[in-house]
Amino acid sequence: MDKKEILKLEYIALNIRRNILRLIRAGEAGHSGGALSSVEILTALYFNLIRVDPKNPTWVQRDRFVLSAGHKCLVLYATLAERGFFEKSVLDTYGALDSKIPGHPNMHKLPGVETNTGALGHGLSIAGGMALGLKINKAPAKVYVVMGDGELAEGSNWEAASAASMHKLDNLIVFVDRNKLQISGPTVDVMSYEPLDERWRSFGWGVRIIDGHNLEEIINTVNQAPFEKGKPSVIIADTIKSKGLSFAEGKVNFHYWKAKPDELEQAERDLDAIENELKEKTEKRNNNE
Amino acid sequence: MNELKDPRKTFGEAVIEAAKNNPNVVVLSADSSSGSGLGGFPSLFPDRHFEFGIMEQGVMGYASGLATTGKIPVFAAIAPFVTARPFEMFRNDLGYMNQNVKVVGRCAGLTYDQLGSTHHSIDDVAIIRTIPGVTIINPGDPVTIKKAVHAMIEHLGPCYMKIGAPPMPVLYPEDVDFKLGKGIVIKDGCNVALIGTGTVLSKAVEAAKLLEEAGISVRLIDIHTIKPLDKELILSAAREIGKIVVVEEHYIAGGLGSAIAELCSQEHPVKMKIIGIGDFYASNGPYEQLIGKYGFQPDQIKETVMQFLNQQ
Repeated sequence: MDKKEILKLEYIALNIRRNILRLIRAGEAGHSGGALSSVEILTALYFNLIRVDPKNPTWVQRDRFVLSAGHKCLVLYATLAERGFFEKSVLDTYGALDSKIPGHPNMHKLPGVETNTGALGHGLSIAGGMALGLKINKAPAKVYVVMGDGELAEGSNWEAASAASMHKLDNLIVFVDRNKLQISGPTVDVMSYEPLDERWRSFGWGVRIIDGHNLEEIINTVNQAPFEKGKPSVIIADTIKSKGLSFAEGKVNFHYWKAKPDELEQAERDLDAIENELKEKTEKRNNNE
Repeated sequence: MNELKDPRKTFGEAVIEAAKNNPNVVVLSADSSSGSGLGGFPSLFPDRHFEFGIMEQGVMGYASGLATTGKIPVFAAIAPFVTARPFEMFRNDLGYMNQNVKVVGRCAGLTYDQLGSTHHSIDDVAIIRTIPGVTIINPGDPVTIKKAVHAMIEHLGPCYMKIGAPPMPVLYPEDVDFKLGKGIVIKDGCNVALIGTGTVLSKAVEAAKLLEEAGISVRLIDIHTIKPLDKELILSAAREIGKIVVVEEHYIAGGLGSAIAELCSQEHPVKMKIIGIGDFYASNGPYEQLIGKYGFQPDQIKETVMQFLNQQ
């Protein structure tokens, strides 16, 4: 992939993290941990991979995105705003009465949101139905899903996974945002899903394991899907919960962040530091050219 | 004696007819199509029948997703397995997302007589009625089952329809005027409004005849659409007659009688009696005997109505 394009996407990912911080400021709290771990996945999807039209969000031929782990909604709002589905000022209403951006997404309130998720273990079967319907319609569109790793304990996911392989839904591409933490602790200690890749494979899926913060790897991997002919694809994306915030990365107590003023200041400094790194990278690249 | 017809066979034939007219109709099965009168569907429409095996929760989600692509999924299975079991999927994926999916609970009420409380469905109306925007249809004879299928397919939005299992008497002529949300006054009267629905409508019809013989003038009403309720028809009965008896093969808690009581208590309070099932798990046994245990046979309904009127 063109390195310039990757750098551009890294800047976008930073903007999305800034948008998440803006949401947290507005609502004073939110499920930031799993939102921040999914930033690169949504950046790659909405700024490189997915065919959508922000001006025509219900365009029939569009690819679909289902956020099965609906509590990660901050990253969805932050990404859709960045992509131009709605004004960024909407982000400042997070937590307000009748806000268009509730604590779990509502398709009736906001353009670009495809499903009402929040209760875990629903998204994969809805996405499977979309993929099946698109196949019946002979539409070339794909369906993308982001799931949490803690969410995988819900048995309904495995009903959905069986049906997706049985019905040969090779237009379905699922990311498991494996940030390895849930409210009560490390996911594998709460309810182990290991060996996760073998588990998906045994359900009839094509599987890849990647670094979920590496934009180039995400894009290249998705472009190889379906990984096996006639099978749905799952990408196990290893990520860091609360990625980007020095004081919260990999810490279980930042699953839901009630932001203190000093933490918000530190978060700003952390994101500024990322911006400085990107600037240095850009300068170095420009000098080399 | 009225002609008897199999409700599931009638339902399946109507779905096939609807599918012939509307290419968007697809059928989803949780190992349940053949038992739902849809055994002939896969060979007629091999590309529009999707088998999922025994996974009702999963099917709800797949139905929701299919509906987003313009399909009209029809999902029929044993009633508690499409209501109580996947309730959250019904509420979130169909109701909250307002998807055009048609869920059909068959062998509803006590019609899975011998199979006991896991297979009885006498709470489905109570729980599905709490989901905003879901139309609930409970037709009481084969003619209205057929009409309900077509009306449900034409209606845009999530629907729950329930049907029984034993053969049902034909109560209506083929040209009966059936509209979703509009009750049918089977016969007019002035002493009591007797409101029936679904599998026991025919018992209410028979009871009305016995009451007439005993000199009681009955306004007999079929409420086939439990939600949205035909408020106008019910309130006119409340105002004009002032005494309402509801017959339903359902818990007294949360069913049609409950819905009518909610309406009347706020708009026009009247004396009411609900012939339904109390706060217990129903027993098992041959269907006619089982519903007799709970007072649904015509002579029992007649007695209950007489007692109710005598108390006033």
